[in-house]
Amino acid sequence: MTYSFRTSTAVMALGVGMYAFAPAAMAQTVVDFTVAEYSAKTGPYFQEVATAFEAANPDIKINIEVVPWDTLLQRLTTDVAGGSAPDISIIGTRWLLDFASQGVAEPVDSYLTPEFKSTFIDTFMGPGIIDGKIMGLPVAASARAMMVNMDLYDAAGATPPTTWDELYEASKKIAALPDTFAFGLQGKEIETDAYFYYNLWTHGGEILNADGTSGLASDAAITSAKLYKQMIDEGLTQPSPTNYNREDVFNLFKQGKVGTIFTFPMLIPQIKEEAPNLKYKILPFPEAGAKATYGVTDTMMMFADSDAKEASWKFIEFAYQDQYREKFDLGEGFLPVTKNVAALPYFTEDPDVAGFAAGLPYAKFAPVIANWEEIADVTVRTMQQIYLGEVTPEDGLKAAAAAINKIRGL
Amino acid sequence: MTAPKAGAWGKMANRIQKSVPMLMILPSLLLAVLIIGYPILDLAWTSSQEVSRFGKLIGFIGWGNFAEVFADPLFWESLSRTGIWTLAVVAGTLVISMPVAMILNDDFYGRGVARVIVMLPWAISLTMTAVVWRWALNGRSGLLNATLMQAGIIDQPIEWLATAGTAFIVEILVGILVSIPFTTTILLGGLSSMPQDAYEAAVVDGATGWHQFRYITLPLMKPFINIAIVLNVIYVFNSLPIIWVMTEGGPANGTDILVTYLYKLAFRFGQLGKAAAISLVMFGVLLIFTILYVALISRNDADDAAPEAEVDDEH
Repeated sequence: MTYSFRTSTAVMALGVGMYAFAPAAMAQTVVDFTVAEYSAKTGPYFQEVATAFEAANPDIKINIEVVPWDTLLQRLTTDVAGGSAPDISIIGTRWLLDFASQGVAEPVDSYLTPEFKSTFIDTFMGPGIIDGKIMGLPVAASARAMMVNMDLYDAAGATPPTTWDELYEASKKIAALPDTFAFGLQGKEIETDAYFYYNLWTHGGEILNADGTSGLASDAAITSAKLYKQMIDEGLTQPSPTNYNREDVFNLFKQGKVGTIFTFPMLIPQIKEEAPNLKYKILPFPEAGAKATYGVTDTMMMFADSDAKEASWKFIEFAYQDQYREKFDLGEGFLPVTKNVAALPYFTEDPDVAGFAAGLPYAKFAPVIANWEEIADVTVRTMQQIYLGEVTPEDGLKAAAAAINKIRGL
Repeated sequence: MTAPKAGAWGKMANRIQKSVPMLMILPSLLLAVLIIGYPILDLAWTSSQEVSRFGKLIGFIGWGNFAEVFADPLFWESLSRTGIWTLAVVAGTLVISMPVAMILNDDFYGRGVARVIVMLPWAISLTMTAVVWRWALNGRSGLLNATLMQAGIIDQPIEWLATAGTAFIVEILVGILVSIPFTTTILLGGLSSMPQDAYEAAVVDGATGWHQFRYITLPLMKPFINIAIVLNVIYVFNSLPIIWVMTEGGPANGTDILVTYLYKLAFRFGQLGKAAAISLVMFGVLLIFTILYVALISRNDADDAAPEAEVDDEH
């Protein structure tokens, strides 16, 4: 009853609306833009850009849909499968290969003018290039770094570490403080594998060997996994890491209960808001033979079956103006992907941001390979088994490497 | 039941009368075939194809997806865990719902309020319930640990969701909790339709409370319990939100049941063909269970009814 009433009202309203606005509606191109929700600010920000764009281009309507990160891939998968893909979307660059190899992503080389291309920092263009074609533009970038609680380090009489040995020694001192955990170790959900890669890379290991096989069975991998396990067993981490996702670990840090974590720049605005009195410092990851940080980029991509590519591209160029990029990067706490924004005083002088940006020259990116999510899941599962003591680091990592090689067809 | 008149007209009238029930069922049957049948056919078709991560069918591979599924140890682990999960939740729910329904069936002051309270969790979505429990079970800041520590029951916080063992038990308990309102409603419906004179007669004969329950309530409640079992098995077997929200099937796939594993395969790893094969297996398992169970019930009913029929014949 209610339903049919609503439907009929809607149909009537639609009819009236179409009648009234028919001339305008006929000429208008609609661009559907799926936006990944980085924070509560993301939706309003893109809406603001869209409104400004529509004012300048009355014949184009930007239809923004904000989707949380957790469900974004599923959402796009079902949209594409159902033939209702958007025209533009923000995606994790790690998914781009799947989109490109299935012909879902539109190469943007022909749209990208040299002037526009030159606004980007080259490092961040790299991950979006597949088989020599630019499949998308970097839209957000972050690098990871170590964050230490200086109050706890001072109280324990420890100095912030530069090597893993120093971190281990400092952690022993901090763990002796009451109601305090020395090292925050993430053990579940998204990026549990990244927390291991930080360790792996700084021990000189790699996710993939030069021949494309998994690098998880290497000595570096076993050494680094053993180190985490040892820290768990000796009470240097919070108890039961497998119950802590990324936010849980960061929350412990905000509460001032953890001495050291590995984190991303987006945590800084949160700390400033939620724990303004916390004395922290951003430092490079501890080393054991190698320097590394994890560079993560997200990509703005166009869909191959879009029927509004020209209008979409027009909007993309509009949205990459300096004033909008600056607002986006500052609001979300990202590292800039365009040169002009990177040159702003905030990004060169602020010690926090500089601390994260310092790692960019030696940043490593997730390998652009097929089935990456599944490979990451094997890694997460293995790390959890090791943390829980269900397998030894040697056995677990060897099995994981074999499983990954099988997924890769090697 | 008068005997039909002889002749063609009578026969036809008889035939029409007999087919009336069929005709009346037909529309809903057609609807069911359309709504349930089509997706299953589509699923069966998809499961025999190689599927791209965006649902494009690439080519026929016959049993390839099934072979891959059956060769996957995680599938078998999830399958056996699904069995434990379903059995534990359904059995636990029944064991608790029966006394709850009996208490709510008795007349007492505030029964209306008590009934509302028992039904309330039903009004909240499973996902919300699971989110609340995830918070409550948090090791350091969760309500449960805080309560247990203040009561002096434990002196160290327990990380309930950190290991698969405790996490799975907790999830089963939450599963039972959310299944109680629905089951209690079914059982309450049965109890309120129960003839009171049977109990009165039993009391006169000196039957204890247990005897009344065992020899009057349980046998008379059988059809309602059976409905509760079949419906709950179907719901619980297919239930994603509790496990997904609380542990995502982790740690180390230790709490994965078929439906969470399926969800990961389809929407994280983009293996839609394999996922379609698993859904079909799940559908098959539920179908076989339902058919077997219904057959078992009707055979039991026939056995129960048989002696009475003989007695009738003697008269």
